[in-house]
Amino acid sequence: MQYIIVGGSAAAISAVESIRSLDRDSRIDLFSDEETPLFSRVLLPYYVAEELSKPLLNFRPADFFETNRVTPHLGVKVTSLNGATKTVKTSDGNTYTFDKLLLATGGRAIVPPIPGVDKEGISTLKTMADAEKIYHMQGKRAVVIGAGSIGVEACISLTRRGIKATLLEQLGQVMPTVFDAEAAQIVRKRIEDLGIEVFTGEKALKFTGDKRVTGVVTDNREIPCDMVVLSVGVRPQTELAVQAGLTLGDMKGIRVDETMQTSTADIYAAGDVAETHDIARNTWFLNAIWPCAFEQGHFAGLNMAGQKTLYPGSYRRNSIGNFIGIPAISMGVTHAESCAMTSDEDEFREIRVRTKDAYKKLVLRNGRVIGAILVGQTQKAGLMSILLRKQVNVADSIPMLMSDRLNFMDLLPILRRNADQFSEPEYKELMDTGL
Amino acid sequence: MKVLMVDKEKCTGCHQCELWCGTEIASTSRELARAINEAPQPVPRVYVEGQKFALQCRHCENAPCLDACPNGTMRRDPETGLVYVNEPTCIACWMCVMVCPFGIINPSSSMKVAIKCDRCRSMGYPICAEVCPTGALSIVERKDYRKKKF
Repeated sequence: MQYIIVGGSAAAISAVESIRSLDRDSRIDLFSDEETPLFSRVLLPYYVAEELSKPLLNFRPADFFETNRVTPHLGVKVTSLNGATKTVKTSDGNTYTFDKLLLATGGRAIVPPIPGVDKEGISTLKTMADAEKIYHMQGKRAVVIGAGSIGVEACISLTRRGIKATLLEQLGQVMPTVFDAEAAQIVRKRIEDLGIEVFTGEKALKFTGDKRVTGVVTDNREIPCDMVVLSVGVRPQTELAVQAGLTLGDMKGIRVDETMQTSTADIYAAGDVAETHDIARNTWFLNAIWPCAFEQGHFAGLNMAGQKTLYPGSYRRNSIGNFIGIPAISMGVTHAESCAMTSDEDEFREIRVRTKDAYKKLVLRNGRVIGAILVGQTQKAGLMSILLRKQVNVADSIPMLMSDRLNFMDLLPILRRNADQFSEPEYKELMDTGL
Repeated sequence: MKVLMVDKEKCTGCHQCELWCGTEIASTSRELARAINEAPQPVPRVYVEGQKFALQCRHCENAPCLDACPNGTMRRDPETGLVYVNEPTCIACWMCVMVCPFGIINPSSSMKVAIKCDRCRSMGYPICAEVCPTGALSIVERKDYRKKKF
């Protein structure tokens, strides 16, 4: 068997580990256009902040390829993919054949078509080269465009380096795809307390300056700056998929089935490039987040190595961690209305509890958890995550789930009622205790 | 893979396991009288939950925390199968907390690390089981629940 992995981040590495758990001997060739292997993209803001040096960005040891007997081709781009002949061509002029191929090409940061966006001092924050560029930028004032996770973290990173940062978001709140208005308000307050200026509902119209950026003009003002970070989202890198004629989804990601296989046999996709069934939304979705990439890589790897294993589906999960100063976790859908594939019979509920230091919200569809937000008190967030993943009915347990004393043992009756869905040994052995 | 199990007939909910875990494993002084005044407060890795059940990390076969950790801080000991936090590299992103199905990972904002039970892997035997006055906690082989193919 000859495996080819295109990509070198979470989904790719996870797939390698899964393949190797079943197949110790076959050849694995991995192609990555990043020259620095095994680093974690989500940690790039920590690098910019000088919190982590380069070696500490790695999520696997430097000898990973050696111990897993992978032949890495770093800085080598796969330039064409042919599903019929099962071959790829690469930027170093070689042709390789494969039996099973994984497309883990991830996403590319979107560069919005704002006039002047090509000026010096403007960068996205997606690749190691981006992080290096931002790290070495000279200046005292920065504007970050787009208040998603990366935008917020970029702002904090720059602030920690003594740079005055302004966060600009065209929608009405910070982290609009992660939090509802209430949670966003709590987070915004924290960001502002760090000395970051936040403008929401305001759009960047153009960049000023000759060669180098000197300011951002919005619909309300002009913000002088020495650098700009663009963090308006990512788009799946599907050039190879398009070339190979693979089916793309509505969100322009590569459609995969439950085994992570694309529309062409023996070509699989996983991670930020893959459009999977979203459990919470009950439709196809691109969940471009680290945990999904890792899970999908895991399932892709098992299936590629011949062990048919069905991926239960993805759902969004975000944690803002200690970086911002208040723990906040969000998963699934944040509002009932952001749910597709609804019918008139679907019944939605949103339950909220707000105390001085904490906020908790559950979104239910037909008695099943499809979304949760926890701010302040987050330790039990994983309980919501597992209820969301398993889609079990919790309609009669709402007060318990909303209680700040909720713990795992409270869930045992729900688990027993749905024992066929909680078949993992970790759950079974606790159900067996008779409690 | 061995797991820690609780005998519900024997567990009285006395919280001794929590107390000892908090003192012996989590505190710097390792003395109860001093540990209670330590700042930041020591965080026990075992939780006496519900009526009376001492719950620690279950060291899941497919541990979601291992997949969620963005820099390999969450690790599995290849020999024992125990899942542990390599504290020096933890960046306190709380991704593991977000996915732990048992809610037993503590996001310690004061210590800036994710704190969870490693079943005292460096001591060889878990303190909670050792100190349990009724012997309610014991280490047993994990049952194979998969349907056997004949």
